[in-house]
Amino acid sequence: MSIIARDPLGTDRVPVAPGLSMFDPMFIGIDEFGHHVTLDTVYHNLLVAGEPGGGKSGLINLAAAHAALSDNTRLVLLDAKYVELGPWRDIADAFIGNDIEAAISVLKRLLIVATNRYMWLLVHRRRKVDRDDNLSTIVTIIDELAMFSTVLGTKEQREEFATLLRGLVSLGRACGMPVIAATQRPSWDIIPASLRDLFGYRAAFRCTTNGSSDVILGAGWADLGYSATDIDPENRGAAWLLAEGRLPYRIKAAYLSDTDIYNIADYAAWMRRPSGITVPAPSTTIQWEMAA
Amino acid sequence: MSKSTRGFGFGRRSGTVTVIEQKALRSSARNARIAFIITALIVGILAMTVASDHMHPILAGLLAIPIALVAGAFVWIMFRIWPVLRLIWWWLPEISAGMALVYGWIALANATPALVTLAIMAPLVGIPAAVPAIRRRVIALGWCFIVRHRLRVCFSQFIIANKSGSLPLILWARPTPVGERVWVYLRPGLSLSRLQNRLEEIAVTCHAKSVLVELASESEKAAYLRFDIKRREVLTAKVSSPLPGVIDTENMPFAYTAPTDVPTALDLPDVPAEPPLAAAGKSTASPNGKKQGKAAPAADTFDDDPWD
Repeated sequence: MSIIARDPLGTDRVPVAPGLSMFDPMFIGIDEFGHHVTLDTVYHNLLVAGEPGGGKSGLINLAAAHAALSDNTRLVLLDAKYVELGPWRDIADAFIGNDIEAAISVLKRLLIVATNRYMWLLVHRRRKVDRDDNLSTIVTIIDELAMFSTVLGTKEQREEFATLLRGLVSLGRACGMPVIAATQRPSWDIIPASLRDLFGYRAAFRCTTNGSSDVILGAGWADLGYSATDIDPENRGAAWLLAEGRLPYRIKAAYLSDTDIYNIADYAAWMRRPSGITVPAPSTTIQWEMAA
Repeated sequence: MSKSTRGFGFGRRSGTVTVIEQKALRSSARNARIAFIITALIVGILAMTVASDHMHPILAGLLAIPIALVAGAFVWIMFRIWPVLRLIWWWLPEISAGMALVYGWIALANATPALVTLAIMAPLVGIPAAVPAIRRRVIALGWCFIVRHRLRVCFSQFIIANKSGSLPLILWARPTPVGERVWVYLRPGLSLSRLQNRLEEIAVTCHAKSVLVELASESEKAAYLRFDIKRREVLTAKVSSPLPGVIDTENMPFAYTAPTDVPTALDLPDVPAEPPLAAAGKSTASPNGKKQGKAAPAADTFDDDPWD
């Protein structure tokens, strides 16, 4: 069974086209009433967390696919596992594998851009970027955040990474530079609560304990009955979504197969190449060789 | 409300049907009387005032009396038959559909020969029954009518709102992929949180799996609610993204060429336990930023192993 329609006759469809923009609502799945769930990703940061195999990478690939097909959008990808966001490396302005120094460097660049954009906004007597400004949207997607904040590099590097990321998450919101991060369990050692609470959208995929669910959605939700422990482990892609100003609600994330992902990535690469909007990231195979 | 007390035994057949309960009847009679008096008074005074502009005040008063009586009587009748009117209003779609069906059938059968009647009726009934999309739509719409009645049963039977027993206004309903969505405007005496405590009973009454009540919209009034009646589960379905549908892979000249410098050491034996040359060569930081020099000389301490 496949659902992309709003009502039983299937009349309403998601507005989507190759001329998509990040300012368009991003379709991520359906809610428990079968209605479309869309996110306003430019002005919100998204934190995705849950057990391995719950469907996290499906959701961040959906976000990456939307960004890849969007006009005037740049991708900055950090994926220590390479394969989750690897399909998009040809169109990404930066694709970083397990190199924390490169990650720190790109975060620094992003922060400078963010600061410059705010100065630009100040000069233009405005407070946030909008669609007509023609400024590119720079989407930073991080898979396995825990690798960067707890495993790779030295302690100082990890702390610097966390500090820079906090800066980007808090600054990027109004200047068209959203952050989408995925991790298995955003506990305090992986992502401090002060950073976690900056994420406006939080998607909790299946968790094993109420504590883990609360760590993602925020303290106290499990007691009120909003706990990701009640998600069926067989039902991949089911999650609780906490969007700003609402109670958490159940969603089922849309699924892109590997073929779909690579097709969209190839199409996006072909579509973007003539415009010269992006500079493809350098090949990562040298790093693979070193890892091997 | 529409309880039938018709006797079916021989000799007890009264032939009357009690549509309105005794208590409601008394309250209705009192209300009708009050409404008659108030309407007659107001209409009488107004009619007299207007008429006195054109004639002598006594003549105007005499003219106003029948006008007041007629208006009062009209309101009195409306009040007395209001419960029946309300009942007809509630069942209006069903009554109209039933009438249309019966009269339509009779008219068709009278106007055309039997074979033609069948030839017209077969596709009329057969197509909606045979085409799954239309059938689902018809069934979904049918449930919308049923669920409005069931919700009214909830309100009249076990969610007692106020002393006079006025029921919430059950507005429109529309099908959703999981069931139905009904909009309701509450009368004084009910609230969202009171209804949220009775969701299980409402679900049972509506023959549903679960029911959810929310404010119809955040900015609207607290009395304007939305009932979501859930009969099916959609979260177990596979949801497709529309993105693969908008790309045109057929006419895409882009061809992927695999890089030639792919790592070949894909199994554990392919990677030597101690790469002395590599360790010497890589005196700088490894890709993950750690100094490799510390980990590599593990084999050097092998000689000092106390188990040796």
